[in-house]
Amino acid sequence: MSNDIQHHINVYKKVFIALLILTVLTVAASYFEFGGIVWLAIGVGLAIATLKGYLVAANFMHLNDEKPIIYQTLAGTVFALIILFFMPLMWHNDGLKSPDNVPLQNGNVYNSDFESHHDKHEGGHH
Amino acid sequence: MKIPYNEEIRPDTGLYNAKLGIWLFLASEVMLFGGLFSAYILLRLTDPNWMNYGQDALNVPLATLNTVVLITSSVTMVMSWVSLKLKDLKKYKMYMGATLLCSFIFLIIKYFEYTAKFDHGLYPSTNNFLAVYFTITGLHGLHIIGGIAVNGYFYGPGIKMWDSEPERFTNRIEIAGLYWHFVDLVWIFLFPALYLL
Repeated sequence: MSNDIQHHINVYKKVFIALLILTVLTVAASYFEFGGIVWLAIGVGLAIATLKGYLVAANFMHLNDEKPIIYQTLAGTVFALIILFFMPLMWHNDGLKSPDNVPLQNGNVYNSDFESHHDKHEGGHH
Repeated sequence: MKIPYNEEIRPDTGLYNAKLGIWLFLASEVMLFGGLFSAYILLRLTDPNWMNYGQDALNVPLATLNTVVLITSSVTMVMSWVSLKLKDLKKYKMYMGATLLCSFIFLIIKYFEYTAKFDHGLYPSTNNFLAVYFTITGLHGLHIIGGIAVNGYFYGPGIKMWDSEPERFTNRIEIAGLYWHFVDLVWIFLFPALYLL
């Protein structure tokens, strides 16, 4: 038992160091240009964050060795979360992109004759 | 009357009850923060003026320091639980005290960040980015305060349970730890999403 715990302590130390290194890496990556490719920069940033999140969840929260009912609970959560995250995309493709719906600085609303405005009147097939 | 399955394992779940309870709570927390992240994505994709909101004016060094502080507090939190497993109450006090200290440092740094924004006339109502920034970091800050309340209780008066029901107390620290690691995990995603990307 005591040996088992000592093993855990060693793992926690290693995870701690890994998290610190990855934090430095996150900040460093944000200053890197990635050839001006925005989605690549965002992708790398989120990939590092996901790796850090995995290290915390798997080791500190003991998800690498948990009972099935907890995995089932989390699977349901992930399913609901994916739906939640796709909702903006559904709106994005369905006219909500219209700038009229976007509040701007200090209560002003973006107001301009955008093409999407015409799309909405013609049925919004695009 | 004794509440069942505080220490002993419930046969059908294979867990003591609070363990399943905290995970159900954390599942609802995922949806709470998920909704705000989702709103952030929507605003960022649709707001044509997003680039002019001065996201790069946020204080990256302070936020990086706060990330390190919170990761450290997560480690001391898990070590306080391990100390109880080793029946070392003195070490538990030390690690739990360190966790509380880190929590307060986080809040103090956050306070400086907020007041610096206010001094420059930047408020949640100023633009969409700041609305998202203050809402999500504010909610996260409330979670830090909640964690301080719980951990402070277990550091102070709540520690009495160690004398009567040590195993139940150890489980309580594990549950409080799961919550605290979740708060750390949220920040791990908040930091790049708000400050860096």
